[in-house]
Amino acid sequence: MSMVDIAVVDYGMGNLRSVSKAIEHVAPAMTVVVTSDPKVIAEAGRVVFPGQGAAPDCMREIDARGLRQVIIDAAHSKPFLGICMGMQVLFDHSEEGDTPCLGVLPGTVQRFPHEAMIDAEGNKLKVPHMGWNNVHQTGPHPLWAGIEEGERFYFVHSYFVQPTLPDVIAGFSHYPFPFTCAVATANIFAVQFHPEKSQNAGMALLGNFVTWNPGEGEAACDMSGATCA
Amino acid sequence: MLIIPAIDLKDGHCVRLEQGEMDTATVFSEDPAATALHWKALGARRLHLVDLNGAFAGKPINDAAIRSIVDAVGDDMPVQLGGGIRDLATIERYLDDGVRYVIIGTAAVKNPGFLHEACDAFPGHVMVGLDAKDGKIAVEGWSKITGHDVIDLAKRFEGYGVEAIIYTDIGRDGMLNGVNIEATQKLAQALSIPVIASGGITNLDDVRALSTVAKDGIIGAITGRAIYQGSLDFVAAQKLADELAGGVFGV
Repeated sequence: MSMVDIAVVDYGMGNLRSVSKAIEHVAPAMTVVVTSDPKVIAEAGRVVFPGQGAAPDCMREIDARGLRQVIIDAAHSKPFLGICMGMQVLFDHSEEGDTPCLGVLPGTVQRFPHEAMIDAEGNKLKVPHMGWNNVHQTGPHPLWAGIEEGERFYFVHSYFVQPTLPDVIAGFSHYPFPFTCAVATANIFAVQFHPEKSQNAGMALLGNFVTWNPGEGEAACDMSGATCA
Repeated sequence: MLIIPAIDLKDGHCVRLEQGEMDTATVFSEDPAATALHWKALGARRLHLVDLNGAFAGKPINDAAIRSIVDAVGDDMPVQLGGGIRDLATIERYLDDGVRYVIIGTAAVKNPGFLHEACDAFPGHVMVGLDAKDGKIAVEGWSKITGHDVIDLAKRFEGYGVEAIIYTDIGRDGMLNGVNIEATQKLAQALSIPVIASGGITNLDDVRALSTVAKDGIIGAITGRAIYQGSLDFVAAQKLADELAGGVFGV
């Protein structure tokens, strides 16, 4: 078969049609497949790693399909976009079900702490964090191109990532405290929010991803030795 | 932004109403599944169903038509449904049938406790339909204007965990005289959950105007009469909305 431009990794955690439709929308000339075939993922030009559900279920399904190694390899070698759970399980460990994750990025995943969920006016904040929220960029990145600082994206999540190395943090939001909602390494970009549901800003991010050439104008593996070892 | 075709169901048929009056119903199609598939074939990414019998009688009676639509369009086209939803058992049955989102209207305003329970029992599947005139909520097929301020009530419901607010400006719905951009935008800006505009989306100018403020959180525009009567070309409308506001996939 001919090489796939973009593989959307399917590991049985939710309907991935929305993500693949959005990618097709921004990359009409590219071949986009939703796949759980390790060979297709290994050969794809770039990889999108979405996901919803609980961390233990995600990890179980990844392993049930024999996808662990090919995901780790892709995350170290080609343009790689993690979305929502696909961002969380890149880290070492999730508090959700005390789950060891893929360990591509050093750090942990934690639940919004009950006692902190009060806004400035004293109102109780709901978990999951659901709806639009402003995303603040920590600096320029090819995937932020054309997206305004503080732009609103759509979120649905109860857990958030805490990277060990602050230099991977590409974006943060407040709920009510600042939490990391985007991380970047040499070839990985991963977001907690849902670009496929975030209209112009989301389409801009996906459009930036499908044309992103990591390494052009950046030093390879400049983010951390640990993630690229 | 999604352009969301509306299918109003009455006695198992697709109908259109004028200003919400039951006796002005015009039958468009006697095959709801075929109508749904027509919109899907034209690229619609979501459908909006209204059970008019349910809305007026207080309990759903278009079950068979609703099931035939959901079965026909399949999993990848979310269906949202309103009309006569006043208890948890009805919500459960619709969700079991494959309806993605139920829309609670009058019952949410009259009995917020029920809405709160529904949001807790079916998180991610409950929307609220708020109809308003001059910023005040209307209920019961627009026959009563209440003293509730739309934004205050919507913010309260947002706190319950509703998935989205469907906002209808009732001075305009069904009369093909333009969408109330300002009121819709004001509501979207005040909320952190998505708003879907309904009422008065008549032509491409309305779609254009709404798309330019969509970044405030308006993810869709429901349109009925305009696409059936032809004042709005659905395909052109969705294309324009995607170009100006960007896509929404699977919300």
